[in-house]
Amino acid sequence: MFRSLFLFDVTFWLYLAAVGLYFGYLAASKKALRPAYAGHPASSEEDDGWAQPLGQLATWVTFFGLLMNGLALGMRAYERMQLSGTFAPWSNQFEAMSYVSFAIIAGYLFLELKYGIKAIGAFVVSVGFIAMGAASLLPYRYQVAEPLVPALNSYWIYIHVSITLTSYAAFAMAGGLGMMYLLKERAEHRGRRGTIYDTFPSLEKIDELGYKSVMIGFPLLAFGVILGAMWANYAWGGYWSWDPKETWSLIVWLIYGAYIHARMNRGWEGHRAALYQVFGFGMVIFCFWGVNFLLSGLHAYA
Amino acid sequence: MDAITKRTEDAKSFSFKEFGDALVEFFSSLKLAIFLMITLAILSTVGTVIQQGERPEVYIKEYGENAYWWFVKLGFVDIYHTWYFSTVLVLLCINSLTCFHQRFPAIWRSIRQDKVNVTASFIQNLKRSATVDLPDERPKVAEALGLAFAERGYRVLVNKAETETTLYATKGIMGRVAAHVAHLSVTVIVAGGLIGNILGFRDFGVCLEGETYHVPQGNFDLHVDKFWLDYYDNGAVKSYNSTLTVLENGEKQVTKTITVNDPLVYKGIWFYQSSYGDSWDRVEKARIVVREKATDKVVGEAILDWRKESELKNLGLKLQLTDFVADFGFDAKDRRVYSKTVEHENPAIKLAITEYDRQLAAPWIFYNYPDLFEIQGSKYKFELTGYLTKKFTGLQIAKDPGVIIVWVGSTLLVVGVMLSAFIFHRRVWAKVVSEPHGVTVYLGGTAYKGQIDFDREFQRISERLKTLRHPTA
Repeated sequence: MFRSLFLFDVTFWLYLAAVGLYFGYLAASKKALRPAYAGHPASSEEDDGWAQPLGQLATWVTFFGLLMNGLALGMRAYERMQLSGTFAPWSNQFEAMSYVSFAIIAGYLFLELKYGIKAIGAFVVSVGFIAMGAASLLPYRYQVAEPLVPALNSYWIYIHVSITLTSYAAFAMAGGLGMMYLLKERAEHRGRRGTIYDTFPSLEKIDELGYKSVMIGFPLLAFGVILGAMWANYAWGGYWSWDPKETWSLIVWLIYGAYIHARMNRGWEGHRAALYQVFGFGMVIFCFWGVNFLLSGLHAYA
Repeated sequence: MDAITKRTEDAKSFSFKEFGDALVEFFSSLKLAIFLMITLAILSTVGTVIQQGERPEVYIKEYGENAYWWFVKLGFVDIYHTWYFSTVLVLLCINSLTCFHQRFPAIWRSIRQDKVNVTASFIQNLKRSATVDLPDERPKVAEALGLAFAERGYRVLVNKAETETTLYATKGIMGRVAAHVAHLSVTVIVAGGLIGNILGFRDFGVCLEGETYHVPQGNFDLHVDKFWLDYYDNGAVKSYNSTLTVLENGEKQVTKTITVNDPLVYKGIWFYQSSYGDSWDRVEKARIVVREKATDKVVGEAILDWRKESELKNLGLKLQLTDFVADFGFDAKDRRVYSKTVEHENPAIKLAITEYDRQLAAPWIFYNYPDLFEIQGSKYKFELTGYLTKKFTGLQIAKDPGVIIVWVGSTLLVVGVMLSAFIFHRRVWAKVVSEPHGVTVYLGGTAYKGQIDFDREFQRISERLKTLRHPTA
């Protein structure tokens, strides 16, 4: 009945394969590193082992996964259009998760294209894959496209939800990069050489990319929350009613606001920032999932 | 003597000024901003974990009496309207305004004029710097550099001296201006919220089709022409709609069908389709089954319209449905029947019975307890076997003159945050110094944000500089 579900399944397996390939790429690059002379590490581009083909393949599989993800969302949009005359393919938890994974993977591919750092893939694509996996673990009745409840049946859903979810994706990326920073930092701290961490970009670069991700997510979340307020002003009779979901998105926004301000000071880069990015992503997950399941409120349907 | 008093006075006024400066410094500090944002986040979290604005019973049931006492004392049951929550908000406004006052003038000045002349050691101490020796002539190198900057969108200022030329290139200062716009917007939004709180109101009305209601805040009347539900094919509710007419002095002003997400606005007062439900003090119709007491057999059935008499001629009965309650309750003091809740927990109708033109009684008949009372002097028993509910439309009525200010603030916030996130302020200095065999170029720069991209840009510029050494044909 829902053909999109098949496409979502294909996406899931492609992302899984991509994660495997990226880790394979890391492992292969590590082997390639071993015979390198001290102080003269071979770059992964130059080795003649498995690393390069694996890396290439990983990128292509990710790209096809993204394509499939996009198709699945498009198909879901079509199904929604048939069913209830609105197409937003982010109208329930399952669709929203799939959309977030789409945004994360798209963001990652952009990053790879722009900065040419493949090692990040193992982490960021993993986050995207987990989002997709969590979505497919939802019971079937949450995966199908039920018609929208009256409050959601509005053109605001197209813009408010997509923008907010894109900001979540950016924060997810920052969280993955933070994780990566911490792992690499620990390995460097212990003085280990020849581990996969050597293939990671420099700490400074990871840190800066994490910051950049937050700087993309932060304005988007601001915009998303404000669009939500405008919607609420039409649907609920007030732009702000301290409903748990809107309050939590404000909390997340304030948390990242504090992060951005803290980074103006020295000492708030690197380790602390990475930890904070991981913590912030935890808060995003709570805002996205926890609020729906643990706290009651007007957003309970989303 | 004079000198001494003068000195102490100096000291006094000096320390007063110092205190003022320290205060401004404190209020404009980054640390305070971070502290306030985190505090606001924590307080908001408390408000989402503990339900807000519930009835006392709910808290006592969930957390116990002791905890509830503390909640009330600490304001946790309505945390967003406590004095300390407001204080944090006000402090955040003061913080961002003082920050604007402290830092914006410098930014404004640097838009108009910037530090062009710097020493070579200043350049070498910048985060990115390079020193290149070139065999070329000074004007040519300076021009090439100026071009390289200009190509990348920098604004270039040049200062020529006897033996050296200094170039200063900058771009993206708007990113920092935007950050301050975002700071100001916080105060605008809070001000809009405050205005709405003082001058606005929010009400909820339970309205029935066909009735007229007075709206005292606007001094006009509202008539509910119609209320209905729309369904999807699978039976789920698609939307609910009310057709409303505004009347002023009995004259129709405007008619609109409102639905969820599409309110009616009249004289600044907004009417929202907020909810719907079954009335608790009225029904559309009720079905009554009549049994003969002697035989317990069903002898008749009547479907009664609200407050309309209907006749069962063969039984010699006239019945009228005069009242309804959804959840029967009796106030012993006032001797009055009322509905305890809005739920249809214990529905009952009041039935006026006339038997052979003799007004018998007007008993309450219960849906759940058919055999509760016996009606004296009647041959019959009456049972309420069903009823058709009367739907009410739940209208949210609100006026908020602050909302436009909130939107202005929001726009400023989004634009400010967007620009400051994507436009980075960058400054580059280049000093071209004449040497016996050509020139030495000291190149250095800093970026306020976006280090990687700046690294790249800086590298390209310095590489371009090096290629000057071997000019390609």
